[in-house]
Amino acid sequence: MSANVYQELTQAFNAGRLRAILSSGQAVVMHRLAVMSKDGDWILREDSEALAHVLGVLEERGARYRFGAPLDTRWLAGGWSSHFEFRTDSLRVRTDFVTRPPRITPTSLQALWVRAEADAKPVPFADVITLVELKKTNRERDYAVIGELARLIDDPAECLLQSRSARDLIALARKQPALLDRLVSKRPVLRHVRDGRDGLEVALDAERRELMHANERRLQLYLDAAQVWMDAWPRIAAGIADMPLREAHATLVTHAGGRLPFQVESAS
Amino acid sequence: MRAVRDEFLSEEDLDLRNLTDEELVAYWNQWLEQAQATNAADAHTYSHGVFAYAPPAKRLPLVAEDRSTYG
Repeated sequence: MSANVYQELTQAFNAGRLRAILSSGQAVVMHRLAVMSKDGDWILREDSEALAHVLGVLEERGARYRFGAPLDTRWLAGGWSSHFEFRTDSLRVRTDFVTRPPRITPTSLQALWVRAEADAKPVPFADVITLVELKKTNRERDYAVIGELARLIDDPAECLLQSRSARDLIALARKQPALLDRLVSKRPVLRHVRDGRDGLEVALDAERRELMHANERRLQLYLDAAQVWMDAWPRIAAGIADMPLREAHATLVTHAGGRLPFQVESAS
Repeated sequence: MRAVRDEFLSEEDLDLRNLTDEELVAYWNQWLEQAQATNAADAHTYSHGVFAYAPPAKRLPLVAEDRSTYG
């Protein structure tokens, strides 16, 4: 069988030990929903061995750094992301990494790793609930994906917390009125379920807008914190362009110290 | 008769559920190859992480879509 590059990479990242969970758009494909992204995104273990292994896998494929944070626990622990690119015969392959995915609590993140260890899938990929949280971005189309992902959830409480369908929410609330009342404090939009479909749809739209704005505010903090690094990048990128990836990485870490803060104020 | 429901993705998108593993990979790979057509357009943008765009030597003015990214 002809394999997919993101499946192959995930297996290579996890050779000998679980280090990487395929995430975001390519994980959506693994759930057999839409193919909507050409780039790959992984959640990595936040330890030096995992990051060094991933760098080695990427170096074997001739990858180079794109603008971003070094693949180093000090920056990744602050929520930064690292980005690479390489070419195959027919594809430009982009690989993006975080260890602290947005909107995922430390408890949920730990549980994700525990489940992935227990499942021992050949290609570990993010579960539906994790993906729903990751997809709460500032892009409209991600909410369409959430809408379908939520239909894969069996647990009624999680359905009430994640569904973007007014019809689905109203139908579920009729079956589970007590559960609905219990969850209103966790998801205020549920207060509008008894307003009927039109009222609930207005509230869902407003909720989506607020989620998008919240992500924009989060990204702006990183954008502001990266300004010095961004200004320095063209010169640094030219200097590492011909280096093997691990040598480029060591150089990048040196340059990023003092230019890119490990932590971003109020971003966690 | 099937009731109308809220639709988020197309029937074609959702049809991935009916594919075999081999068919899924073939469709996925074909989609990725076709998507290479936009490589030049998104050369400096990001679809994941906390960075919205890369600083090229000569940066073009940003439009709103350039700044959108997953979080």
